Amino acid sequence: MERDMSGTRETDADRLDPRDAANLLEQTRRQAQQQFDLSSPRLSLLGAAVVLAALGAVWLSVRGQHPYKGPTAAGLVVMYAILAGWIAVVVVFTRRATAGLSGRSIRQQRAFGAVIVTALVAVSVFQGVLAHDGVSDGIVNGIYPLTAQLIVLGTAGAVMQAGRESWPGFAVSIAIIVVATAGAFAGPAGVWLTDAIGIAVVVLGSAAAQAWLRRAPVSA
Amino acid sequence: MTADGLDPLIHVPARLRIVATLAALPDGDTLSFMRLQTMIELTPGNLITHLRKLEDADYVSTEKHGNGPASRTSVALTHRGRAALDAYTETLRSLLDGL
Repeated sequence: MERDMSGTRETDADRLDPRDAANLLEQTRRQAQQQFDLSSPRLSLLGAAVVLAALGAVWLSVRGQHPYKGPTAAGLVVMYAILAGWIAVVVVFTRRATAGLSGRSIRQQRAFGAVIVTALVAVSVFQGVLAHDGVSDGIVNGIYPLTAQLIVLGTAGAVMQAGRESWPGFAVSIAIIVVATAGAFAGPAGVWLTDAIGIAVVVLGSAAAQAWLRRAPVSA
Repeated sequence: MTADGLDPLIHVPARLRIVATLAALPDGDTLSFMRLQTMIELTPGNLITHLRKLEDADYVSTEKHGNGPASRTSVALTHRGRAALDAYTETLRSLLDGL
């Protein structure tokens, strides 16, 4: 047994067999990465359900409208209530993951949040401008708001993920842009359902990829 | 170095867990002493002792913010510490390949 100046005892039992060391190293890395990770397969599964429920509620309120007028108040209330609950869950999860963390990535996340909020407000203001200029309800209250917001979110997410070199997250962000763009062709009522299904599929794929990556050995 | 060629500063369970946990942070990030202690499940005294050894070797850096009860200590892996963990991992890999 050896005792150093600081009083820490290091016995033979503290020395590791190389195989035990490799297992401990991989287990510790995996646990740390999972605890610091801002996403999880379960959170993604919940996200897919939230998207389907929130956008599905709006779609139910607009399907069959001829001519298209836009979501009903009830449809919007349900959507915003579901999204508010979702945001609360994400905030709690993020705070838990980032507790005690500081430095560059935290500053980047705050800047990212500011960009998202500013861009979403700008999209809404522009929606008002379109309505003021007499653009049709199908565009102003149908295709434009959802498509523009998803393209903004996808673009900001892609830039953020590329900066972190997080390529699975980058792929999800690009897929959201593609779904939003393709969904616009479904028309003012169909865009809500098409985007709901498309994004849910993307998020479910992301959850499956995350679960698979978490089972795979951690590279050195 | 140990007989196996492994860095003795890292080749101890508690310090291996400290270094591996800090290595999971993005470069440029720091972790509070409290969160590290919770994750590693060491007593404060033990954690301080192990961190001192790693700090003496310039494997980790610690920084204290504020004074009194509200003070907060943050810990980060240095470039030297990250390089040491990479070298340790490579040595482990070659040892296991040879088994």
